[in-house]
Amino acid sequence: MLKEAGFVDIEIGAAVDTFGGARGEKNARVFEVQGYPFLAVKPM
Amino acid sequence: MAPEIMVDAATLREQVKEKYREVAVNPHGSFHFHTGRALAARLGYDESLTASLPDSAVESFAGVANPFSLRSLSEGERVIDLGSGGGFDCFVAASQVGPKGHVIGVDMTQEMLVKARRASGELGLENVEFREGLIEDLPVENGWADVVINNGVINLCADKRRIFSEIQRVLRPGGRLQFADIANGKPIPEAAIRNMDLWTG
Repeated sequence: MLKEAGFVDIEIGAAVDTFGGARGEKNARVFEVQGYPFLAVKPM
Repeated sequence: MAPEIMVDAATLREQVKEKYREVAVNPHGSFHFHTGRALAARLGYDESLTASLPDSAVESFAGVANPFSLRSLSEGERVIDLGSGGGFDCFVAASQVGPKGHVIGVDMTQEMLVKARRASGELGLENVEFREGLIEDLPVENGWADVVINNGVINLCADKRRIFSEIQRVLRPGGRLQFADIANGKPIPEAAIRNMDLWTG
């Protein structure tokens, strides 16, 4: 979707266990939901 | 063909607003996600910076990862935070861009805006401002920003393509989008995607 929107030089960082120990952990585990940092650049 | 949007955008927006109103006024309540200082530590934010902020600036933080982990901001940069909530990521951004930079937080929830403005006042930050608005229709002029950040907000919006288009509008050429969000490793059934209660926990 980022590429479709025209962004370039896209980077995705390491996953974080965002929901571990929280009330939403069970649902997160079922669908392997984790948090990620993203970086993308608008072309010149 | 335009992709199908599987939930009603306005209804979802109201549900999200209600959820985050609760996070603003009762930050230590029971949510399906972590909040506050413990969450910031879990996501790898600089603990000395977090410790330097008053509780009011951190307690309603509800991000999902660290948008500054792949690249820090540079001195003097102009930054927009989409869905700025209680302002925590704006205060982190302000510490990186310094007094020559400028940070605009945009949020649709009044209680969050009030809280963020109060915390900004406590911190004496003159280069941070909070504007009421929707991230699908940002109250910022074309090409203003060097960097757009956000943390765990895009997943809460029905029309993600519209948001990325709006981010393109406000970024200058060569500007960066640095965001954090959740992604699933296993496919989510369509019935679950259409279940709006699962969007906000």
